[in-house]
Amino acid sequence: MTSKSMSHMNGKMIALALCSVALLQAQSNRPDLSGVWGIYRGGRGADPKFAAPAAGQLVLKPEYAKPYEARRAAEAEALKRGEQLANGSVQCVPYGVPGMMSIAIYPIEIIQTPRQVTIIGEAFSEVRRVYMDQPQAKIEDVAPGYYGRSVGHWEADALVVDTIGIKPAVGYRGTPHSDQMRITERFKFVAADILHDQITIEDPIVLEKPFTYTVAYRRMPNYEMVEFVCDNNREYVDEKGVVRLKLRDH
Amino acid sequence: MRRKSVGLFFLAVAPVFAHHSFSMFDMSQKITLTGTVTGFEWTNPHAYIEIDVADEKGAVKHWSIEMGSPSILQQSGWKFSSVKKGDKPTMVINPLKSGQSGGFLDHITLPDGRVLGNGPGRGPQPQP
Repeated sequence: MTSKSMSHMNGKMIALALCSVALLQAQSNRPDLSGVWGIYRGGRGADPKFAAPAAGQLVLKPEYAKPYEARRAAEAEALKRGEQLANGSVQCVPYGVPGMMSIAIYPIEIIQTPRQVTIIGEAFSEVRRVYMDQPQAKIEDVAPGYYGRSVGHWEADALVVDTIGIKPAVGYRGTPHSDQMRITERFKFVAADILHDQITIEDPIVLEKPFTYTVAYRRMPNYEMVEFVCDNNREYVDEKGVVRLKLRDH
Repeated sequence: MRRKSVGLFFLAVAPVFAHHSFSMFDMSQKITLTGTVTGFEWTNPHAYIEIDVADEKGAVKHWSIEMGSPSILQQSGWKFSSVKKGDKPTMVINPLKSGQSGGFLDHITLPDGRVLGNGPGRGPQPQP
């Protein structure tokens, strides 16, 4: 190797090393979302600055609004009779994205690395993987499922996550969607230990306009995630679609 | 055809229960049961206490009492070993609307006198 090519190589290596240092620095300046997060509820005793802002208006296209309202009415009727119509969670089917981001008081755990952000929901042990700085696939190339495909990038101090490939059977809070749904999340600290996930749903088939809601989290520093395997489901759905409880006799 | 948009108000709150609503239980009624535990199932999606309860004439009736999940219970101070077979606790429950001998726990008084709740709004609340 000539001394010229040697010095060229050295120059390249130095440039590469500098790039890595810059990258590492950029990464170390990123907010660290790693840890366990509980739902930060508004209301009594809560700081309104930290609570999630009110959700936007959900505007369904008429052909979807009708069955949605009919279902809601049927559920309300059943409730009046002291019954509950079956839904996926009664049968221990997980919530998927975005429902798993806010289930009752179940925490989530975030594991952040430069290449991947992993989000684990305690209820039903759900797992999402967010691939960092990767191009997103086309919707038609992603097998529809519960978690779809998520890619993420940083915009200043916000982690922006794009998710596609959620199958229509995976509802979020009873709201219908099509296989064209696109979910954009912005994770941002609003205080040292308060994190907001602003979730925007776009669906050209079902929604008249994008729908946004926010989930607020508080850090749970000493919390160890509890396992959740749904192996003792004693509720069942009877022939009328109503949920019943299996009792034991001893 | 003119398309009419329908605006719906979306509740920003997360569902309180992961698994189901508690419509099968009569939340307006509370009853107290004291008996002998025959089983404690620390399982998902719910934990259960199985208990034999004797009436004033000594006739024993078996009850299945549903609770939250281990996660919810742990946040209310429970452990997987908080109740054991043979224990004689006292429970306040909401009974099933069907009249069958089952219910949903509000709170329990353990033999050592400790009182444990059953998640948000039910019994003693954990410190945040």
